[in-house]
Amino acid sequence: MRLLRIAAAVELTTLAVLIANLLTVHAKAVTTFGGPLHGISYVAVIAAAYLAPSTSPNGARWRAFIPAIGGLLALRALHTQEG
Amino acid sequence: MLEHALLSVHVLGGIVFVGGSAAATSLFPRYAPAAAGEGRSLSVAVALHRITRGYAVLGLTVPLAGMTLAVVQGRMGEIWITISMILTAVAALLLATQIYPRQRQVLADPGDPGRLRLLSMFAGVYNLAWAVVVVLMIVRPGSGQGG
Repeated sequence: MRLLRIAAAVELTTLAVLIANLLTVHAKAVTTFGGPLHGISYVAVIAAAYLAPSTSPNGARWRAFIPAIGGLLALRALHTQEG
Repeated sequence: MLEHALLSVHVLGGIVFVGGSAAATSLFPRYAPAAAGEGRSLSVAVALHRITRGYAVLGLTVPLAGMTLAVVQGRMGEIWITISMILTAVAALLLATQIYPRQRQVLADPGDPGRLRLLSMFAGVYNLAWAVVVVLMIVRPGSGQGG
């Protein structure tokens, strides 16, 4: 769960930084590091959603595939299931 | 100095964490409970299942250190790094979306040898992906400074 929380935050913030960079200064260093970091966090979100100890499938795993906000949606789905 | 530290973390993590998860996925079908075969044990299978998960999560340090190193060295964009990152993503998705859930199914409801064969196959693909990545790391095709 902790992994999913971190990965979800990184997924969203890196994309925000990348888009902000694209629209403003477009510094190559930000793209070079932010792009792969966003990619790895996208994969990490999906992996974390599948590794989360949930016994009943409730759509959290499929939500993780949604770009940018998939991690947050998966987190919410898992929390709803707990509560 | 920073490059040496990153490379050490990258290689050590690759050997210990990725190697550990690769060994656990390979051995799981051998020890998972099934009708036939000697030496099968539920507790061993559960341990391998946990190693598969725990070491794969810790293995996240390997691409993180590798990517940081590539950026520090200005190598990001070289073809061998790009292919390695794609293969790493494929291996990670294979482990998380196929191998780990199928292991859980086998532990919850043992007895189907077909599932174990499929897990063996996936473990083979997982290991092969890492073998290719290691070769890419050594040969470095497309590297500016040569292999």
